[in-house]
Amino acid sequence: MAPGRLSQEATWGLIFLVPYIVLFLGLVIYPVSYGLILGANPKSYVRLWTDPVFLRTIVNTVVFLGVAVNIKLFLALLLSGFFVHERRWIRWLSVVFILPWAIPSIPTILSFRWMLNAEWGMLNSLIFRLTLEDGPNWLLDRWSGLGMICVVHIWKYLPFWTLILLAGRLAIPKDLYESADVDGASGLQKFRYVTFPSLRNLYITCTLLSTIMSLGDFNSIYLLTGGGPADSTQTLATLGIRYAFGMSEIEVGVSTVVVALPVMLPLLVLMLRRMKKGEQP
Amino acid sequence: MASVSVEAVRKRYGALEVIHGIDIAIPDGEFVVLVGPSGCGKSTLLRMIAGLEEISGGTVRIGQRVVNQVPSKDRDIAMVFQNYALYPHMTVRENMGFSLRLRKAETEVIAERVQRAAQILSLTELLDRHPKQLSGGQRQRVAMGRAIVRNPQVFLFDEPLSNLDAKLRVQMRTEIKALHQQLKTTSIYVTHDQIEAMTMADRIVVMHDGIVEQIGTPLELYDTPANLFVAGFIGSPAINLIRGILRRDGGRCWVATEAGVDLPLNGDAAGQDGQAVVYGFRPEHLTPVENSGLLSRIEVVEPTGANTFVYAELSGAQICGVFSERRSFAAGETLHLMPQLDRVHLFDAASGRRLAA
Repeated sequence: MAPGRLSQEATWGLIFLVPYIVLFLGLVIYPVSYGLILGANPKSYVRLWTDPVFLRTIVNTVVFLGVAVNIKLFLALLLSGFFVHERRWIRWLSVVFILPWAIPSIPTILSFRWMLNAEWGMLNSLIFRLTLEDGPNWLLDRWSGLGMICVVHIWKYLPFWTLILLAGRLAIPKDLYESADVDGASGLQKFRYVTFPSLRNLYITCTLLSTIMSLGDFNSIYLLTGGGPADSTQTLATLGIRYAFGMSEIEVGVSTVVVALPVMLPLLVLMLRRMKKGEQP
Repeated sequence: MASVSVEAVRKRYGALEVIHGIDIAIPDGEFVVLVGPSGCGKSTLLRMIAGLEEISGGTVRIGQRVVNQVPSKDRDIAMVFQNYALYPHMTVRENMGFSLRLRKAETEVIAERVQRAAQILSLTELLDRHPKQLSGGQRQRVAMGRAIVRNPQVFLFDEPLSNLDAKLRVQMRTEIKALHQQLKTTSIYVTHDQIEAMTMADRIVVMHDGIVEQIGTPLELYDTPANLFVAGFIGSPAINLIRGILRRDGGRCWVATEAGVDLPLNGDAAGQDGQAVVYGFRPEHLTPVENSGLLSRIEVVEPTGANTFVYAELSGAQICGVFSERRSFAAGETLHLMPQLDRVHLFDAASGRRLAA
């Protein structure tokens, strides 16, 4: 073989690689760089900081992530402890329980929106019939609106995280529990000394992953309150869309998302590191 | 320490009965090994004694107390699991002291007992490590340490050595036995390995398909197996078994095989003329003779240094002989072999039971 020429094996290797390189350039490198270029204009950030909606949106996003993600995962941890029991009816129940996650967002979240309508929604009609008082304006107030967004988000994504933590629980060797039984541990002690230490890593990883994923949750907010009233329940995901497509300020819209990067990138790195490290005690 | 008694114990999973009424009486301080092939119910029985498995019928007593309804933690037992079941996030020290901590023992008491157990098992250096930093043998020792610290009435071992390599298994076997001689705690040990059973047990319980086949000391089982199953299960290499018909003629007695070979017996052998029997002899009870023995053709020779294993064909069956004297055997060679007549075992072919002399 002449020096400087590739062996046949290497040539074939390159040929097989080409489609993936093309896809990676076209679907990852190009859009990300284009996004960064769009978000590189300093004027966009000045515009953002001077918009009072933006600061409120940051607060909303932090509250939404902090409350929804933590409640969701804590409930998932508890529920996975229920679904881990091997009973036929529990298995059937788990199929029903998965449904909110499996069905499409738009009809279900819009149903919530109608149920929560202050004047003719199902919930307030019920409250009126039972108490003869008007129910609260669920979606017309910033904090109760955000609260309802959290409820809908948790309702929608709880099954998924429950499944993940259930898988984690199933991976704990049974003889650890038997050993704890012989050692004299109560149910709560078994959770404290066996279950939680075994799930701790998974739980933290899930929290990181869920935070990153929930930051991009557009549906729960947009379909329930639309970011309103008066932009009081916007999060970064919906605000970016509002700028880009509602107000035709594409660059500002992209900048809204870029703002989250300094927080998100370290989270991502942290998570990938944890996943690589595996189960360290 | 306490005696353990298992009376007419049964285990059912729905309609399926896996243990069919077992009786075992274990006196205080004895080391009993439950042995049998996989699926014989030995682990299930142990787990019933431990309280990890419900008892479907019969009674289990620890000391004088019936424990059928007593939860595991109140039975005053300690168990060593096959996969060690060490708490992965606790150090060796915490693992060993865990049960005492749950029982709200004082810190000094826990520290002292853990220290003592660690000394007995040479674990002192490892007390601050986590289980994943230990080798298999060390983990096994921690699991035993955890049991010792409790100072329980009964130790239960569920195949504790099966995850170790062969050399370590032999070493741990000796250690467990030495430990028992030191502590004298009643111990029930489950294994499928008959050599473990033979070497460690005061008494062995041979189980098969959910029943007890025989209970006895290792040598009792070896010398007078109650039936074909026990005969075949205990001993390595396995006993040689050849089918035939018992023949008597005057004072003479022999077993005639289908291939026309007459296998010699003592004149006082049990059984009736014409009875279908199985003729058994252990590989080490064969003697090479000059002539007049049973003619066998050597198929394989395995010298191990101490002994020579000879596999040969006799009357259509493959038999094994173990010889300790150095002698040159060659494959293909024909050999005259003679079983020691007073060590021949005779079993009824239909029931498999031993025919008593």
